[in-house]
Amino acid sequence: MHVMIINGSPRVKQFSNTDKILEEFTKGMCENGTTFEQYEISDRRQWDAIREAYYQNENILIALPLYVECIPGLLMEFLETLHHREDKVRLSFILQSGFAEGIQLRCGEAYLEKLAGRLGCEYGGTLVKGDNFSIRLLGEEQRKKVTGPYENMGREFGKQGNFLSDTCRSFTGPEVFPAYVRWMLSLIFQTFAKKGFNRFAKSWGCKEPLDYKPYE
Amino acid sequence: MILIINTTTDQEISRQVRAFIQDTGKEAEIIEAGKMNIHPCAGCNHCWLKTPGVCSIKDDYEFILKKIIHADQLWVISDTAWGFLDHKGKNIYDRILPVATMYLKFSGKQMRHIMRYKQKTDIGIIYTGDGDREYLERWNKRAALNFGSRSLGAFPVETMKEAIACM
Repeated sequence: MHVMIINGSPRVKQFSNTDKILEEFTKGMCENGTTFEQYEISDRRQWDAIREAYYQNENILIALPLYVECIPGLLMEFLETLHHREDKVRLSFILQSGFAEGIQLRCGEAYLEKLAGRLGCEYGGTLVKGDNFSIRLLGEEQRKKVTGPYENMGREFGKQGNFLSDTCRSFTGPEVFPAYVRWMLSLIFQTFAKKGFNRFAKSWGCKEPLDYKPYE
Repeated sequence: MILIINTTTDQEISRQVRAFIQDTGKEAEIIEAGKMNIHPCAGCNHCWLKTPGVCSIKDDYEFILKKIIHADQLWVISDTAWGFLDHKGKNIYDRILPVATMYLKFSGKQMRHIMRYKQKTDIGIIYTGDGDREYLERWNKRAALNFGSRSLGAFPVETMKEAIACM
C-alpha cells in the first residue's frame, strides 16, 4: 500500500505537533512495507503538488489539529480548491487536539466523515486523540511519551488501511474524566500548571501576565 | 451591541440584514470583511504565551477582535464549502483565540480555557450555499464554548428573518 499524507496543520512543520505525531505514526505504518509521501498544508508553495498527488492516489490520509471544534481555516482554504472525485479513493483522518477528553473532538470527527462523503471518497475512519498540546513544549524524551503510542496505530493502519478497528477506536481514551480526576486536575490547573505556563511564557520573552487584557 | 461580520463579497446581504434590523428598532454594526486582509490562524500560540491577548498576525482582524470583545452578539455571514463554513468564515472563528487565556478550568465535565474578558459574546451564523444546517447548528453550539457563551443558531440566508428575530 502507498499512502499520500497531508499534514493539515497551519503551523510550520518545524513546530507542528501533528508532524511529530506523523513521525511516530509512519514508523509503525511502514513496518509491513507500506510506503508514503507527505505534504504540508502550511507551505502554500506545495499546494499545486498536493492537488496533483491528491488526484493520483487512492489511499489518502489527512492529519490535522482541531481548530475551534473543526478543521483549520487554512486547510479549508485548500480543500475549496479540490473537486469531487468520482473514482475509488479512501480518505482517512488523524484528528488531534490540546484538550484531552474524547468528547472534545467528536464534533470535528463528525464533520470529517461528512467531508469524505462530500469529496466523493470512501471514509476510512478517523483516529481521534487529544492531550497533545504539550508536544511542542517538551524535550525529545518527554515528547516521545506523548507521540510514541501513535507508532502502534501506524502499525494498525499499515495492516488494515483504515481506522475502523476497535483498537483504533479505543485509542481515544476516556470521553470525559471521572469526577475525582476532574477535581484533581482542577487543583493542578490552579497550581502547577499555572506556574508551568508562566515559566514557559517567560522563556518565550513574555512581559505581561498571561491574563493581561490589552483591549479593555 | 450586535456585531455582524459579512465575510462574503455580497453586500446585498448586508443591505437586507440592515433593513430588517431597522424594522425591529435594534442597533447593529455591520462590517464588510469579504475583501479585508484576514489571514488564517497559524497556531503560533503567541496570543496565549508570548503577547497575551494580542495576535502575532498584523492584519485587519485586530480591528474586528477589538469589536468582538465588546459585543453582546456576534453574527458571521459566510459562504459555505463542502457543507461547512468556507475558509473566510472559519478564519473569523479561528482567530478568536486571544479572547481566551492559556489557563485552564473545568466547565461542567469538560476542560476549557479561562476567558480573558468578562464580556460574553453569543454567536450566530447566517450562511449562503449548500451548508449542512444540522451540522452547522451542532458546530456553532460547540464553537460558543470557545467564547464562554451560547449559540444563537445557524440560518440559511433565505431565512435571515429568523436570525434577526434572535437578535
